[in-house]
This record gives sequence, C-alpha cells and structure tokens, in this order.
Amino acid sequence: MSTFRKAQALALGLLAGVGLCGTGFAKDDAARLKALQSRVLAIAAETQYVEAITQVQRLGRAFGYYTDKGYFGEAADLFADDGTFQWGVDGIYKGRAHIRELLTRHGGGSLKEAPGLPFGRLNLRMQLQPLVTVAADGKSAQARWREWGLLGQYKKEAFWGDAIIEDRYVKDGGVWKIAARQYYQNFEAPYQGGWAALKPVTGNWQTAVARDFPPDAPAPQQYRPFPAVFVPPYHYAGGSLVSIQSRPAVDPPKRADDRLGKLESLADDKERQLARAHSVRAIENLQAMYGYYIDKGQWQQAAMLFDRKGRYEFGQGGVYVGTASIERGLSLMGPQGLEEGQLNNYVMVQPIIHVSADNRTAKARWRSDVQLARAGKGRWGGGVYENEYVNDKGTWKISTLHYYVTFWGDYDQGWAAKPFPVDLPSSLVPPDQPPTVVYQSFPKLQVVPYHYANPVTNKPHAGE
Amino acid sequence: MLNQARQYAGSLGRWALLAVLASCCIPAAEAAVSDAALKSVEQDLGVLGTRIQRLQDLTDVEIVQDAYGYYVDKAQWHSLADLFAEDGTLEIGGKGIFLGRPRVFEYMNVGLGPIGPREGLLIDHQQFQCLPTINEDGVTASVRCIAFVMSSGGWGHNYYEDKFVKENGVWKFKKLHGPFNMYSGYKLGWVDNVIVNTFPEKFPPWPDLPPSVVYLTYPSYYIEPFHYPNPVTGKPMPPPSPRAGGEAFGR
Repeated sequence: MSTFRKAQALALGLLAGVGLCGTGFAKDDAARLKALQSRVLAIAAETQYVEAITQVQRLGRAFGYYTDKGYFGEAADLFADDGTFQWGVDGIYKGRAHIRELLTRHGGGSLKEAPGLPFGRLNLRMQLQPLVTVAADGKSAQARWREWGLLGQYKKEAFWGDAIIEDRYVKDGGVWKIAARQYYQNFEAPYQGGWAALKPVTGNWQTAVARDFPPDAPAPQQYRPFPAVFVPPYHYAGGSLVSIQSRPAVDPPKRADDRLGKLESLADDKERQLARAHSVRAIENLQAMYGYYIDKGQWQQAAMLFDRKGRYEFGQGGVYVGTASIERGLSLMGPQGLEEGQLNNYVMVQPIIHVSADNRTAKARWRSDVQLARAGKGRWGGGVYENEYVNDKGTWKISTLHYYVTFWGDYDQGWAAKPFPVDLPSSLVPPDQPPTVVYQSFPKLQVVPYHYANPVTNKPHAGE
Repeated sequence: MLNQARQYAGSLGRWALLAVLASCCIPAAEAAVSDAALKSVEQDLGVLGTRIQRLQDLTDVEIVQDAYGYYVDKAQWHSLADLFAEDGTLEIGGKGIFLGRPRVFEYMNVGLGPIGPREGLLIDHQQFQCLPTINEDGVTASVRCIAFVMSSGGWGHNYYEDKFVKENGVWKFKKLHGPFNMYSGYKLGWVDNVIVNTFPEKFPPWPDLPPSVVYLTYPSYYIEPFHYPNPVTGKPMPPPSPRAGGEAFGR
C-alpha cells in the first residue's frame, strides 16, 4: 500500500467518523465550521504543494539559462550550502565553490572574470522534461530532467550532448535549493557521424576535467554510456505514483442556503480549481514518465501508464487497444530494455494541457524530437502528440496517445536531403484497428488538428 | 451523510490527513459560529483563491507561448497574430520592432512567406524550457523561453523574453522579443556554416522602429537579460565580462 493510499484510507476513516458524528448533530453549525476550517487548511497545504512543483521547475530551468551563457556562479548559487554535484562517473563535487569550478571547467568560462564565454564557445544545455515529486511534508523534493546539449568551439568542434539528471531539493528558509544533483551523461557525440558512430567505451572514461580538478568523493556508481544501455535510477522506483496524482473527481455536494453553506460552496469551487491546477502538473509528470520509459525500451512500464482500455496510435501504424496490446505495439520499437547500440530518445516538450471543468478528463498537445540509433545508423525524427487522459480515482492515466509523425530523416544527410516515409501497420504485430487518419510525413505535409480553439480569440482553426 | 463524507474524504485525498491533523490545532469552536470566524474563513479562501489563480496563470501564459510555436510550424499567420494584444509588438532577431497586430501579421506573411505550410518546407519552431513569471498585479507576466528550430535549412536556437497582458481574463502577447542565439546549416552544424543575425534591411517588410538592442549572434557572445532575479539569492543579474565574446576572455 503506497503512502498515498494509506493517507487516503486514514483520512477516509477519520472523515467518515466526522460524518457519522454529523448525523447526530446535523444542524450543529459549530461542527460545520470546524469541518470548513479543516478544509481551508487542506486547500492551503495542497496549494503550497503545487506551488512547490512550479518552483522546482523554475529552479531547473533557471539553471539551464545560466550555464548556456557562462553564468556559472549564478548556477552554483542555486545549490544549498552543502549542495553536491555528481558528474557522471567522475565523482562528487561538494559546495558551491567547487560546483562553480566544475561547471566553469566543463563549459569554457573563467573563474577570474565576470560571467561570460569566450568567442566561439557554445555551451547550450537545454533542461527539458521535468518530472517533479514533492515530499508529503513539503520540505524536500526530487526531480528527473533531460539535458540536451549543443556544445563546441567555432571552427574546431561540435558535439551533441545527452544526459539525465536526478535531483534532490530542499526548502531552506522558505526557498527551494538544489541539494544534490546526479548528472548521468549518456553521450557527447561529435556532430560528424553523431551518436550512431560512437564506439563502446572501455576502461576508465572519466573526463579530462576530473583529472585536472579531482572530485571530493568518488561516484557511488559506475556505468557505461551509450552505446551501452544504462538506465539512471528513477527517484520514483518502487512504484511511487505521487507525481502523477492529484484529486479524484467528485460532484460538488449540494450546500445549505445559509452563510456557512455559501462558504462551503466557495471552498468547493476553490478545491476544484486547485485540483485542476494540480492535475496539469500531474499530467506533465505522466507524459515525462512515459517518455523516460520509452527512452530505455521499458514497454511494460510504459504500458502500465495507460488506462485499461487505453489507445496507442503511432504514426500510420494503426491503433493498439488495451494495456496488453499497447505493450505489443510499443515493442515494435525494439526488445524490452533495448540492445547495446540502440538509442530511442523521445523528448517530451511544448505541452498545451487542458483539464476538463470537472477534473475527470484532460487533453494535451505535445511534441517530440526523436534521436534514434539502430544497427549503427542514426536518425532524426519530429512529431506532434494529441493525447487524452483520464483521472482514475486521483491517479492520471493515458486514455489515448496519438503521435503524428512530422518527419523522419537520415542523421548523416539530414531530413531535407534524405527523409524517410512513415511506417505502415506492422504485419508481424498487427494493430487492433487501422489508422484513425491517413497522411504522409515530410516532404508531404499534414496539419495535426488542435484539440483547442485559439487560446486568445477562442475561435476554431477552420480556414487555416 | 456517510456517503457524502466518503466522497468528500476521497476528494481530499492526502490533503485530508494534513487537514485533520492540523484541525487538532483549531480551538474547539467555543460552540458559537461567530461572525469573525466566518469572515476569517472567507478571507483565507480569498487569499488562497488568488494563489490558485496564479497557478492557472502560469499554465495559461505558457499555453499562449507554446501555441505560438505550433502556429509558426504551419505558417498559420492569422492564428498567430491573433495571439497578440491589439497594440502588441514583435521583435525577432535583428529586424527591428513591428507595432500592432496587423504589422505582426505582415512581418510573418511578407517576411517569412505566405500563409499555410508548403510541401517540402520544414520550419518547426519548438518551444523549450519556458520560465514564466506572473507579476504581483496578476494582469502582467513575463516568460523566458527557447525556440529550438529544425528547418529545411538546418538548426536554430533563440531565446524569448516576452511580456504578456491579461485583458478581459485572457492572456495575450504584449511584446514578443526573440533575440537570435545560434543559427547554422545542417551539413557541418555550428562548427562552421553559422548564419549571423538578421538586420532591418535584410528582407522586407521594414520595421516600424529600429532594433531595441544591436548584438551579434554565435560565434560571438550576447546574453539577453533575465526578467527575474536569481531564484535562490534574489540578486539581480550581474553584467557579463566586457571581454566575453573575445578570444582574450579568461586569459
């Protein structure tokens, strides 16, 4: 039984007790007031909880904007006094001064000068796909991020960077700070040839930075980067679903037509607005979680994120219905867990999430950039999702995942010079239903229908 | 009543526990339901209501920014211009400033090509890493965001520092400012064939006002100021070294 379920069961018991008492004192306004005051406290606690999620997201994104431009002191200042930074297998750096030096050495800045980067240095480290779990006491949090790097030196070298970050945060003096960062580099691949041309790493693959600037402690875990398949530990391992939960949907009870009743009704409204705001974050986390499982070929875990009657439709591959079928559909991408040399990065970005007024269902548009490797060949992809979600007793699940392929392109030649057509339904693992819409990918075009009207004019998109 | 309590408990979930525990701290409501107690609840709900609204605002502002990106993808210039306030402004790259919704439309329609997606042309403008701030007044906001561009021509990376205004309950672009960072072709990437910033006379239409800031793109160095202080120290952004962007930086 998860902590959440235990808390819920306990709360149910306690409140059922309050309810039973209530039958004896149905007109006891004092009891009604007390119950209302409790609800206000619960709303306050949950508001603070959802705010914490947004503050952690803000922290991670601010970090990225700092490192991009050589503001390494500012980036280090986002850490707690005793904050730590574990860089891959290099080891752990402790305290803001060492973290600043670590970032400066990796990014190409200067410890002597004000912020900045020299001519021609590129250090773009985009911080994407946050999956934030705040502890029940609201004093600590954890998050998984994806870093996508564009790195290099003009006229000399260019690299793609790929890493997973697992962070722990503390709330210190009312401010969220990074307490411990584990930065799991997956690859730094030369632009020419890309990730698919990388050779397996043998022996010690510590970076040159670690040799010149030794860490304060060794890395607790050794691993091999791509082309090996390594899954950085999930902070939500062990089945914690807290990050994808908000409130179950309920019909607001009818309230008495007195002053207390009006306040009870006002509290109902605030609870529902808050539940919907909470649900937006739960759905962000859910889509991120799905993406992290897909990255590593964990089809079984990914399929579990669907509703029992969920639908999965990828490109022109047709529709797989139900979790067992979805798992088979996902496995068309490769064996469970992938094989060495297979890369399956589906970056989850640009969400437009709308939760229904009753908090029972939601729709979201997302997009993925895709980085693939199969049999030594690299591939780029891009596409748009129009997904639907359902609130299953407080836990959000995917009811429909529909990925529209915009393009597939060869890594070496690019999508413009060498696009690939979208795959047709598999004859090996046939779908349960044919594609719901027929289209061709780039250089042909298709406009993926929007689940929403124009967010400003509220007009439909007909005609454009 | 029991059913209602059960439903209510379910709706509270984990928060109910906190509340029940916290309610032990509430003095046993001395029987009386005083006017002051009711007023206090109403006030608390009002303050919480504002905070809950801010959470929704964060989402709504990001939706406008993200919707902009999807409209660029498909050259849906009418839909895109409709995201701007009547007097909204647009400044992208080094082209200068365009004033008002019709001129926003013109920049797109004349500068980037006619309405509608074209076969064989890819202009995906992906919106990454949005960092929104809702101001105290609740009707103005700022966003820092990244456009990561995958186009037929290659790569692009630019920042946004945008301003939003809430009119009649709807968030709109007040000011879109998108300084370029790095653009490059596909074959060699950013190691060599980089494309430098645009400038007012590079292509029509001509801007209403000159660029608000003149700067160079990669391989040179420019940092667009952050609209927010450091989220941990609260200190404003320090200026970069005057040597940043030069080979002598750090020597």
